[in-house]
Amino acid sequence: MAETAPAISAHPLRRPPGVAIVLTLLVVVFAAAAPSFISSTNIANVLVQSTLLLLLSLPMTLVIMTEGLDLSMGAVLTLTSIIVAIVSLSTGSMALGLLAAVTVGTVFGLANGYLVAGLNIPPFVATLGTLGMAQGLALIASDGQSVVGIPRSVTEVYLASLFSVPLPIVIGVVAYLAFHGLLYHTRFGTYIFALGGNREALTYAGLSPTKLLIAVYAISGAMAGFAGLLMTARMNAGHPTAGLGLEFDAIAAVAVGGTSFERGNGWLLGTALGVLAVGVLRNGLNLLALPSSIQVASVGALVILALFFDGLRSRS
Amino acid sequence: MTDIVKPVAPARAFLSDDFLQILYRLLAALMICTMLAVSTESFLYLANILNVLRQTSLLFFIASGLTLVVLTAGLDLSVGANVALSACVAGTVIHQSGQPVLGVFAALATGATVGVLNGAMVAALRIPSFIATYGMLWVLNGLTYWYMAGEVIHGFPPAFRQIGSGYLLGLPTPVYLLVIFLAIGAIFAQRTVWGQEIYAIGANPTAAQLSGIPMSRRLLLVYAMSGTMAGLASVIFLARLNSAEADIGESLTLPAIAAVLIGGTSLFGGVGSVFGTFVGALILTLVLNGMNLLAVNSSWQPLVTGVIVILAVWLDTKARRRRL
Amino acid sequence: MKSKERERDMRQGIIYVGLAGLVTAFVSTAAWADGETIAVFTKNQTNPYFQAVRVGADAAAKVLNVKTLHYIPTKPDSIPEQMSQIEDVVVKKPDAIVFTPVDYKALVPGVEKINAANIPVVNITDRSSAGKFVAFVGADDYNTALETARYLLKTLNGKGNFIILEGVKGALTNTDRVRGFNDALKENPGAKLLASQPGNYQRLQALQVMENLLQSYPQIDGVLAANDAMAMGAIEALEGANRSAKVIGFNGTKEAVDAIKAGKLLASGDYNGFLQGCIGTIIAARTLRKQPVVSEILLKPIVVSKDNYQPYETPVESRTCPSWEQALTLGK
Repeated sequence: MAETAPAISAHPLRRPPGVAIVLTLLVVVFAAAAPSFISSTNIANVLVQSTLLLLLSLPMTLVIMTEGLDLSMGAVLTLTSIIVAIVSLSTGSMALGLLAAVTVGTVFGLANGYLVAGLNIPPFVATLGTLGMAQGLALIASDGQSVVGIPRSVTEVYLASLFSVPLPIVIGVVAYLAFHGLLYHTRFGTYIFALGGNREALTYAGLSPTKLLIAVYAISGAMAGFAGLLMTARMNAGHPTAGLGLEFDAIAAVAVGGTSFERGNGWLLGTALGVLAVGVLRNGLNLLALPSSIQVASVGALVILALFFDGLRSRS
Repeated sequence: MTDIVKPVAPARAFLSDDFLQILYRLLAALMICTMLAVSTESFLYLANILNVLRQTSLLFFIASGLTLVVLTAGLDLSVGANVALSACVAGTVIHQSGQPVLGVFAALATGATVGVLNGAMVAALRIPSFIATYGMLWVLNGLTYWYMAGEVIHGFPPAFRQIGSGYLLGLPTPVYLLVIFLAIGAIFAQRTVWGQEIYAIGANPTAAQLSGIPMSRRLLLVYAMSGTMAGLASVIFLARLNSAEADIGESLTLPAIAAVLIGGTSLFGGVGSVFGTFVGALILTLVLNGMNLLAVNSSWQPLVTGVIVILAVWLDTKARRRRL
Repeated sequence: MKSKERERDMRQGIIYVGLAGLVTAFVSTAAWADGETIAVFTKNQTNPYFQAVRVGADAAAKVLNVKTLHYIPTKPDSIPEQMSQIEDVVVKKPDAIVFTPVDYKALVPGVEKINAANIPVVNITDRSSAGKFVAFVGADDYNTALETARYLLKTLNGKGNFIILEGVKGALTNTDRVRGFNDALKENPGAKLLASQPGNYQRLQALQVMENLLQSYPQIDGVLAANDAMAMGAIEALEGANRSAKVIGFNGTKEAVDAIKAGKLLASGDYNGFLQGCIGTIIAARTLRKQPVVSEILLKPIVVSKDNYQPYETPVESRTCPSWEQALTLGK
């Protein structure tokens, strides 16, 4: 499919985007100040740690491009991670666990899509509601306890390597390429751009914005399901509150990456850089063993700074 | 986006449409009360009703300032952290000086400063409100954690604690403040020029700018007010809990947003009211109170809250579309 | 026009470089000296208990001439974050680790990573469900809760209506403490358990739950709260409703001690974070110096009440760590 990149699709302009500035600054500073930062183990760590957030932020980019939000991702992730644990525990199969997780995630995604596109409920509200539902179900399904005893095949997902590259990094790269292909090289991708900037055009073209929106949220839910497998693999357990709040990190990463809430602009690479920036920041601060309150404040400063630089750029 | 011809929603609360919306919500609240009264006898105990009023007041203080922000199609995610920091600052001031009045001023000042900073980021630096206030939330948390260093400030003069936990003529003290701020908020929003301008900014920013409304100053104002109300709320929390800890704000932001949304204020701006937020806060508190009295497994609480938020807004959207 | 843009670009460039320089200078001063480094992991920044643990660890470190580095998740009690912190810390290879898992089951892979890196690790507070540890230092939640509840029941002559305020569901401390409370109540046939509701270890939540329970039950004689913050919340609710009951808490925080002194709180189960931090660090240091250690120190159950609260009035910052010999006597 020929790439039909509309004029509104964002690609770095003459001046570097805020996220690139911030990421470069971080890397330079940490490389200078923390000796172990540049080691291959550490770089691998940062990339692996960022995979989970990346898996959430990629679909979030799409959702935000349609002028929406998916606040339920963290809770759905938590629920699907518990489902992976429960199903793989009882069937002994990682694949069945993954299947169940992706199914449940997609169901929530479809629900979100229906609420937003079918019932016209603002995305913030709709996904806030499904957040509550997913959170409640996670607590009920796990009875507030960690679910343990899951088969080794699940944990292997996090620990294994493919040609000495940790599997999570491979998963992250594959996911990125998949989304990149979807967004920039398929007709569906063009529709997503249109959903954000020019919804009427879709109707005139005989397409259904409703169905497309539902699809976008469904993708978001499905990715939460995949991420659930990764999370459970990492903890070797399903935990009822482990993933809560990650959706805000994902939204921040997307916004830091340059995707705007309003204009249907989307920059997938920016999102990936945003995810990396957060991961590098946390990792660097840990290596420097800075007081935790400074770490907390730095996360906020990072987010504000990145958008500040972006604002400087767009105002010139 | 074709917002140049978006109609400006009528902003006076006593015009039929908005009035009806609030009426429906009041009816909903009444329905919930009836259901609870039937399911458990402890609901109608005077003490319980007073509790519900008190808890509604606490939620309303935070949500009221937030309403103004949402009216401009913005969001303030930092309110919870603001309450925590303001409470900790006020607590320290009261302990050091022995003067609760100074503490109140300190809380209001802290809250207002945070609010102004938020407003500056949104209005002057053009940072989207979601990100600006989200970043501020983390910065405030970091500040509060550092400042409190795991400690708890506790033990305040009984006279001061009356503000939060006391009664005046049989009603909990915060309820009086609730009425006062409800009146102030409603009058400000519906009857002053500034209030009208805030509605206009939310409903149609382009038209608002073209008609000469000083956008930056008004935006600064709404975020400052959101921050100040958070500061006020922190005083009440301080008085009620008789202590200040770094993490009291964690669970306050989402319910406040929920109250604003249930109350009929739209995230797209321009539609809604402070009184609506009060009813939204009331509905939310009633539901939580009911779940406690009925000893519903606490795991169900987020689920039920989520459903109610969706329901309220869905009904609202349907009604609005039928009107247009 | 173009030169203006270039000027602005130059200015922006200078700002970026200056920012980078400033930040580098700032963080470089956080560089660390040589010597034994012990990484201390705690669950969050907001709970005074963990602050006491950190103060204890630092106090022991000072005496023993080791350096402590503290790792706390930026989101309180965040499992993924503590996991990431373990992975980052293992890269830095501290000499030893003192570890409280955010969740005693879900952090096991993290402990395994530490084990794989051959870093000696001491487990404190929450007993991890698996993993190799040099030692475990903790309080006996069950027995301390049992003793504290027994103290309450003795005060009330074994009779009355009781309420339990539970902590966070799924937390090991909570499960053991509530079990201790329940067993003590079962020992007394005259004691009736009216309700057992979760307050999530949070003051405000406990206050509201207590307020609601006061509606449903006209006669409440005793409240067993799984931590001090909830106990204080319950006391506020009782005072607000003009009712009274005997309340016990858990943790022995400064606030609880003040309340015991004032007669508002009956007793609190001692959960000495300061001691656990001290002893955990001492054991870690001794392991590094090839000195003998024991594999477990379970602090004896102590009930802080009006008879013995004085030592607890000293703020944690002013307390001194016990010596190793003294520490050995503190265990059961």
